[in-house]
Amino acid sequence: MKKITVFEVAYKNLLRKKTRSLLTVLGIAMAAWVLVSLFGFNQGYEASLNKDIDNLGFQMLVVAKGCPYEAATLMLKGGTGLKYMDPAIAEAVAAEPEVDGVTPMLMQVVFDPNKGETGGIAAFLGVDPASYPKLKSALPFKAGGWFKEPEALEAVFGYEVAELEQREVGDLYLIPEQEVEVKVVGVLERTGTQDDGTIFLPLRSVQKVFGVQELTSIGIKVRKDANMKAFEDKLYKLPDVQVVSLTQVKTTIMTLVSTARVMVFSIAVIAILIAMMGVVNTVLMSVMERRQEIGILKSMGALAGDVFKLVWLETVILCISGGLIGTGLALVTARLTDVLVRNLLPYSPSGGLVAIDVGLVLVTLGVVTAVGLASGVYPSWKAARMRPLDTIRSEEQS
Amino acid sequence: MSQDHRPEPVRPRGPGPKKALLLAAAGLAVFAAAVALYAAVGCDLNDPDRDVKRLFPESTGYKTLYVSIAKRGGEDLLRKIEARLGDAFKGLFETADVPYTMYEIHKGADVIGYIHGTNQKGTYGGLQVFLALDPDGVIRGFYFQKLTSRAAKAFRALAFGEQFRGLSLEDFYRYDVVTGQEDPPGPISRIKNPDPGSEADFRAALRATKKNLILVDEFLLGNAHLKFFKG
Repeated sequence: MKKITVFEVAYKNLLRKKTRSLLTVLGIAMAAWVLVSLFGFNQGYEASLNKDIDNLGFQMLVVAKGCPYEAATLMLKGGTGLKYMDPAIAEAVAAEPEVDGVTPMLMQVVFDPNKGETGGIAAFLGVDPASYPKLKSALPFKAGGWFKEPEALEAVFGYEVAELEQREVGDLYLIPEQEVEVKVVGVLERTGTQDDGTIFLPLRSVQKVFGVQELTSIGIKVRKDANMKAFEDKLYKLPDVQVVSLTQVKTTIMTLVSTARVMVFSIAVIAILIAMMGVVNTVLMSVMERRQEIGILKSMGALAGDVFKLVWLETVILCISGGLIGTGLALVTARLTDVLVRNLLPYSPSGGLVAIDVGLVLVTLGVVTAVGLASGVYPSWKAARMRPLDTIRSEEQS
Repeated sequence: MSQDHRPEPVRPRGPGPKKALLLAAAGLAVFAAAVALYAAVGCDLNDPDRDVKRLFPESTGYKTLYVSIAKRGGEDLLRKIEARLGDAFKGLFETADVPYTMYEIHKGADVIGYIHGTNQKGTYGGLQVFLALDPDGVIRGFYFQKLTSRAAKAFRALAFGEQFRGLSLEDFYRYDVVTGQEDPPGPISRIKNPDPGSEADFRAALRATKKNLILVDEFLLGNAHLKFFKG
């Protein structure tokens, strides 16, 4: 005669009430799905944000004092608001141990009388061909690439300015006021940043064309292990400069992410608690319905520990099945979740928003199993302490 | 001036506080790299209320319509428009999905005209050619909203734009935008290039005008001038 294992008995018990078992498994699966998706979103969002920040190229900017926000100054004052700094400052900054890379920049603005009815201003950003492309390596090109020569009369157009000026690689462009022709060698993809409206030229070309030898700003890439705050304080000791750092930006973003993490965790805990109650309810109901059966088992020699093990195993089977299905669902619907969340959020970074990795899957399965074990304790204990005579008698009475 | 119709598509969602914060953060991070001095690219009137009143002083209101070849007919329509233009749409920015902003001008309940601008590639930059048209598609006003050219002053002179007054798509069908010839010579040949050294920009202006008229005919006039197209 074939010997039947406890696992098989537990499994067969669950199959006796298929619908109820299925609904319980689905409840757990939903909880697991929510858990994996929420934590996947949490880590995906954070990773994408960090990547977006890294893609900005530099985390600190040194500008001449009195010109803290070039964009605003230019809007208000045109080119007259620009302040300059000595190029030697770039060399001094580059020598600091916290620095991974620096890139000097010079912005120039001209009035273009033929832009619009009353004219407009055109801005040109002189960048160093040796360092700027390296720091801004994430800038995608729609066509062409960066200029190579430091004094080339060549330009790279941001997407929107290229569209406005209808410029493509190989076309010419006339710098207003200066009447200097430059050749377009690259057009950037749309980035959604101010780069879209920028005309980049080699730094030395801008210095030559506009007759300005100074700089307007220096972009600094700080080493990952550097103390940004301390380095920022150090930069402030340089004469007549102002420092704009991403530290604050990053802190703000990370605060937002941390807040989101707490919310996510709370929702996950609630989902697990609901699932846990469902499991306890289902298994307890099953135990109550099988009082007589449990009584017979015990009268046949089954120990309290055997009954406990049997009921506990049923709970664990329900939870692990639910966990596996929920995790699978989360993996299959990750892309859909990404799209839905992206549409719901007012701001989302450019990378994937939901990142589910093996670690998260294993942790979820572990949590669900632990929940199953915890949920099963009370119904199993209840079943284990049933007295055979009481259960048989109660059956006869009913 | 009232605006009795709001644009249908291209409606940006209002930024929530979180988005505003993050956008501000991103802006701060990259501000040194550049200045966004260029508004969203398209060919809209810079100041519709002011411009409509200037071009149609008798108007009491206008409707703004957004159309694109991609949405109205896709590749087939693009081919038809190219055939009417006598030239293919070229490059990165002259494509079927370019949104065209068309202004339908009203005086009370009556439509008294249209305003439409098109982008065109010039030698040194983009040209924005705007036409004010009567309800039959006849030009009553021509001007460059934007122009990058060594001869910008001459092209912007009132006398140059005046030469287009009274012309319609019927006249422009005889003008070949590729060769720059009109066969037989007619009113288009009589339009004088104000700067012979800027022939390419002059031709670009004529091509932009022809394209502009075709698009208005297609999207607003129910192809009223198609009968003059000899294909």
